[in-house]
Amino acid sequence: MTKAERREEQEKQRAAKAAVQPEGGSSGGKGGGQQQKKTPQPGTQAAESNAPRTPQVAHSSRGAPDASSVPTEKRANEPAGPPPVPTHSRLFPHLRLPKANILASASVAGTSKAEIHTSILRLALQFSSFKITGGNARCIATLTALKSVINSYTTPQGTTLSRHLMTYLSPQISHLVAARPMSASMGNAIRWLKYEVSVLSIDLPEQNAKDFLCERIDTYIRDRITVADRVIEDHAMEKIRDGDVVLTYARSSSVERVIKAAHEAKIQFSVVVVDSGPLFEGKSLIATLPPDLSVTYVLLPSLSPILPTVSLCLFGAHSLLANGALYSRAGTASVAMMARERNIPVLVCCETYKFSEKVWGDGVTHNELAPTTSASAPVPTVSLEHINLLYDLTPASYITAVITEVGLIPPSSVPTVLFRQGVTAAQGL
Amino acid sequence: MESTASPAASSPLSATPLIVPLMSPSALSEGSDQLAPLPGPPPFDVVQAYRNHLTDEDLPMPIAAVASLTELVERSSAQTMSQLVHELQSGAEKLKKGTANPISLSAGCDLFVRYVTTTRQEHDDFALHKQEIVEQGRAYAKQLPPESRDKISKFALGFIQDDAILTHSYSRVVMQALLAAHRARKRISVYVTEARPRSLGVKTVNLLERNQIPCTLILDTAVAYIMDKVDLVLVGSEAVVESGGLINAVGTAGLAIIAKDSGRPFYALVESYKFLRHFPLNQYDLPYMPTYLPLPAQHPSRGLQTPNHLLSRASSITSMASSAHAATIPSTPSREQPKAGFGPLFSAGLSGGMTKEQVDQNPEVDYTRPELISLVVSDVGILTPQGVSGYLVGVFAD
Repeated sequence: MTKAERREEQEKQRAAKAAVQPEGGSSGGKGGGQQQKKTPQPGTQAAESNAPRTPQVAHSSRGAPDASSVPTEKRANEPAGPPPVPTHSRLFPHLRLPKANILASASVAGTSKAEIHTSILRLALQFSSFKITGGNARCIATLTALKSVINSYTTPQGTTLSRHLMTYLSPQISHLVAARPMSASMGNAIRWLKYEVSVLSIDLPEQNAKDFLCERIDTYIRDRITVADRVIEDHAMEKIRDGDVVLTYARSSSVERVIKAAHEAKIQFSVVVVDSGPLFEGKSLIATLPPDLSVTYVLLPSLSPILPTVSLCLFGAHSLLANGALYSRAGTASVAMMARERNIPVLVCCETYKFSEKVWGDGVTHNELAPTTSASAPVPTVSLEHINLLYDLTPASYITAVITEVGLIPPSSVPTVLFRQGVTAAQGL
Repeated sequence: MESTASPAASSPLSATPLIVPLMSPSALSEGSDQLAPLPGPPPFDVVQAYRNHLTDEDLPMPIAAVASLTELVERSSAQTMSQLVHELQSGAEKLKKGTANPISLSAGCDLFVRYVTTTRQEHDDFALHKQEIVEQGRAYAKQLPPESRDKISKFALGFIQDDAILTHSYSRVVMQALLAAHRARKRISVYVTEARPRSLGVKTVNLLERNQIPCTLILDTAVAYIMDKVDLVLVGSEAVVESGGLINAVGTAGLAIIAKDSGRPFYALVESYKFLRHFPLNQYDLPYMPTYLPLPAQHPSRGLQTPNHLLSRASSITSMASSAHAATIPSTPSREQPKAGFGPLFSAGLSGGMTKEQVDQNPEVDYTRPELISLVVSDVGILTPQGVSGYLVGVFAD
């Protein structure tokens, strides 16, 4: 969209804002998630999903771009559509389901839907419907989308790109977070991007700055993800021997690459894919594995009889915390615990950009809920709720080693690696 | 000397085996314009040089490796840094292949190659630079072992009271620490395991007796029996690996497990040049080592063991048992029979002794898991096993 168009839009929004201001103000505040009744006008919603970029009813409070943070927060807590069951679990009231109608929620009062870029709208929809999952995939998709956002950005008069771009990007990112909580990988990448923007020279011409940023993003994806994965592949392959039985849980892009590479290297091994609901990602892993590789598919409850045959466990990671704990797909902790009990080595494939400075003691305080997709599950009612936690926390004591692009390290060395990266990361904060 | 160790130890240049070491920019620029290799002098056998160095009783294997690689640099006709690094790497590879137990040696090789690749070239003349590397390498080989052992025995003194100490096999650094404790008027007494198959425990006992330290030689099988009378366990090591675990003479892992079970502290005394960048996942994941102790009736399907093959396991066990019965079974020796002397324990005719072939099937070293180790006392400090891995990651990771 051109600059002129956006101007025009903003003007419209400003006018609309004046009209709806009181209503928008009252809908904010924490704990507002339980209020299900407060849905946007149905007519608007339908129109919005057809033409997401048309700001027919703009509830924006965005006069000045730097006023963005407040409305965005409001929108994050805004109820999602009119589902019959609560989006908040009774047992875990701090967790919520991803918004089914993220497109509509963007137009809820107090937000600046018009400001959200098409690519971000599309991505948010893909996130909330679990079309794009996995730390690496989500991070790459986010960075790629942000690249197109940066490309369509124009610096307003009287400010500079390095000072203003982030205020333009923030609502875009918030929209993604509203669709589904940010993954650790995205968080680290965005923090890095913020740092990159902040150190841009003021004197750099706008187009050059944008080109430079896009190039940096490409480099980040290449160095921290693509090449890192290739190095991890090599390191992990050294640990797979002829005759091994490699166990993996659910689906991880890094583990998938390792298995394929080891198979291509003619290592004679077989694979046990352990899987579980609600996502059953193991099925899609099996679909991508070479057909001549011997694979056994078991569900989590049948793990213990299969375990005596296993010689190595390979897991992917959502994030690796500073205390060495692994935050990964729910079920990983049980598998790791049982494997460790039998002295089976537990290896985690994790690029260092997924390392997190956080320390969590359990997998409950921070988690995500997934919707139930299984048809055989009982229908949720007011008194019956489904809880599908997406992640769990594997303590460091169940992990033998972490395979990273800096080599095999014990989980206790995560802080060492973090510290070495810390210099730039801290600057980026 | 300190200046030799520190750049090598603290330089963050990545030396993972798969990444070709980087070179200093000066070396790179030089490498680009001079590429004509001169016809080499008579080939230098690095393995032979290593063996010569090892005849020196006091020279540990990693340092012998450094010394022989230093000689290689001295004889090298390399004109550029990249040629030199290439020669060094192939020399290190030859060394690792040319020896039966290259674990501790490879720590020294890696250390030296990393040192060479990361030192900045001060001189414009490459020959001078090479000369400097050689000098540093020599100084390193000469001074480092005694210095680090001195430091370690000083550190270890703090852990030793008037104690009964259990040690395994023979280790220079443990010996020096015990002697230092003795000189510091600590009333120590030492149990020493015999440590089959090399029986180096006998050497330890002889040396301790010569220094009038009360000591008792015990059977490897008697470790659990004696553990409750022991106050602490001190072992040396061939290498400390990235997990924080040890690779040491076979029996160490068992010792550590028994010590853990009895709640006795288990200390490893290791010089920092034995820190090895390798991460074993279990006993069978040691670098450059063939697998030992195969089952006689190796099941043909073991090559690809799917869960279905579990069922066939029972049959393989029966076939094993029958093959074992096929051999003649020696009669159980009575207690009155004269006991075997130390030395060639597998001498023919000794009932109950193993044949040489049987002994050869056994591993020389085993891997002690980090959870079993209380502390690693090294010349870079007293480290927890996690601390060792932190240190190694800090040195190698980039």
